[in-house]
Amino acid sequence: MIAATLYLLLALPPLVWAAAVFDRIGTGRGALLAGPLRNGAALLLRPVAPTEAPDRLNRLLAPGWYLALALVGLSVVPLAPGLVASDLSTGLVLWGACEALTVVVVFLHGWSPNAPFPLLGAYRYVAIALPAMLLSMFVLIGAALPAQSLSVGAVVEAQREVWNLVRQPLGLPLFMALGLALTLRGPFDYAGGAELAGGTSAEESGPALAAWRLARAAMLVAFSAMAATAFLGGYLGPVLPGPLWLLLKTLAVMAATVAAGRFFARMPPARMLTLLWVVLLPLSFANLALVGIEVLP
Amino acid sequence: MTDALFLVLSALAVWSGWRVFRVDSMVRASFQLLVSFIAVGLIAVLLAAPYIGIATVFMMAVEMMVMALFMVMFMMNPAGLNPMSMVHQHRFAAITGGTAFAGLVAAVLLSDLPANPVPPEAEAVRDLGRELLGPSMLIFETAGVTLLATMIGAVVLSARSGRYGESDAGSVPPGLTPGGAPAGRRPAQGGGHHDHHWGH
Repeated sequence: MIAATLYLLLALPPLVWAAAVFDRIGTGRGALLAGPLRNGAALLLRPVAPTEAPDRLNRLLAPGWYLALALVGLSVVPLAPGLVASDLSTGLVLWGACEALTVVVVFLHGWSPNAPFPLLGAYRYVAIALPAMLLSMFVLIGAALPAQSLSVGAVVEAQREVWNLVRQPLGLPLFMALGLALTLRGPFDYAGGAELAGGTSAEESGPALAAWRLARAAMLVAFSAMAATAFLGGYLGPVLPGPLWLLLKTLAVMAATVAAGRFFARMPPARMLTLLWVVLLPLSFANLALVGIEVLP
Repeated sequence: MTDALFLVLSALAVWSGWRVFRVDSMVRASFQLLVSFIAVGLIAVLLAAPYIGIATVFMMAVEMMVMALFMVMFMMNPAGLNPMSMVHQHRFAAITGGTAFAGLVAAVLLSDLPANPVPPEAEAVRDLGRELLGPSMLIFETAGVTLLATMIGAVVLSARSGRYGESDAGSVPPGLTPGGAPAGRRPAQGGGHHDHHWGH
């Protein structure tokens, strides 16, 4: 348990940096490899802009909560057989709790500065992220069904013969919708966006903004590790050691998520809400029904 | 260690539960309640009921978020940051609160709790599920689907965009005096809009 925590804490900073590099590829925003570090250092030196009558405590803590939720979510991912930071019989539920609390934290981040653009971003995000989270719950129940357990380790072991990606092909694409919502990017970035001048982060600057971006990148790492574990067999794989397989799969999901965020256009919130409730949620039910039929004895 | 954690979490649950009624904003009140529920959920984890504990955190996070959103929406306090009192009906609230507290304390003190520990191989959750839902699964499911249909119906009926046009088309706010002209701003006459029939 302690060993797994140490490995995770060691692996996280390079992975967060990799996430920032993925985000920069093809955007022409300066140096690719050193750019994120340089940008972060510059942000740390800038002052924090005050707003009128903010909720100081929540404004200060929101980036910290976001990062903490990413870490707790990451802690249920097993790195190798038996090597997991929080060895819970209900790891998937803990991940679900992190998803739900992320929506709360993003809302607080937009609500606490007491300014119009962040507030609009916060309300808009909640309306879209709650159904996206509902979607992921059904998808994760689908991943847990073949294992007959809510333990993430058991979900991996159940994929020894065939990955969940093959058994339930709808699972990973639907789960990635949640990933885009959790990490505030692309078609699900209703918290931010240029039309709201940055949305929930519109009033942020300096270290607070750097912390928020760091937490967002850490959430991308946590989500990718979880997706790789639930659908791509986690640490399972030939020749190479388990943790290395998990690392490679995590990087692949990270790249795919960033690419999906770039590829799909963002719709107006009302249309996205219709898409979520009328198309994607029934698809997740269909996915669950398919898995149910498969695992029937 | 467990005792210390239990005491800290209980204190947090009680304190944040009290703060719900002392803060001046609905968003703050909702999230104070969320903190209280998270503390209770973690106590359940300490009591070796990890599923119920973590599921409490999960459900309450969603519910409090929805509650904050809907309260702000219906109370016409656009941001939820404007100060407003979180208490009303003082006497009724005091009497019901006191009665409920006395009843729960009496239940804790007077009920005969079993002293023999459950054997570790007993499937407590499975037994509890059968006890609660075994004979009444059909009723439970029927009630669930009925509630869902009610919620969807309520949203459809109250939504502005409806099948037969916008729901507030032609509606007129009540007058400030009985039979007087409708309150509120009047749209410019002949502005191409369909609602220039004020005062009919």
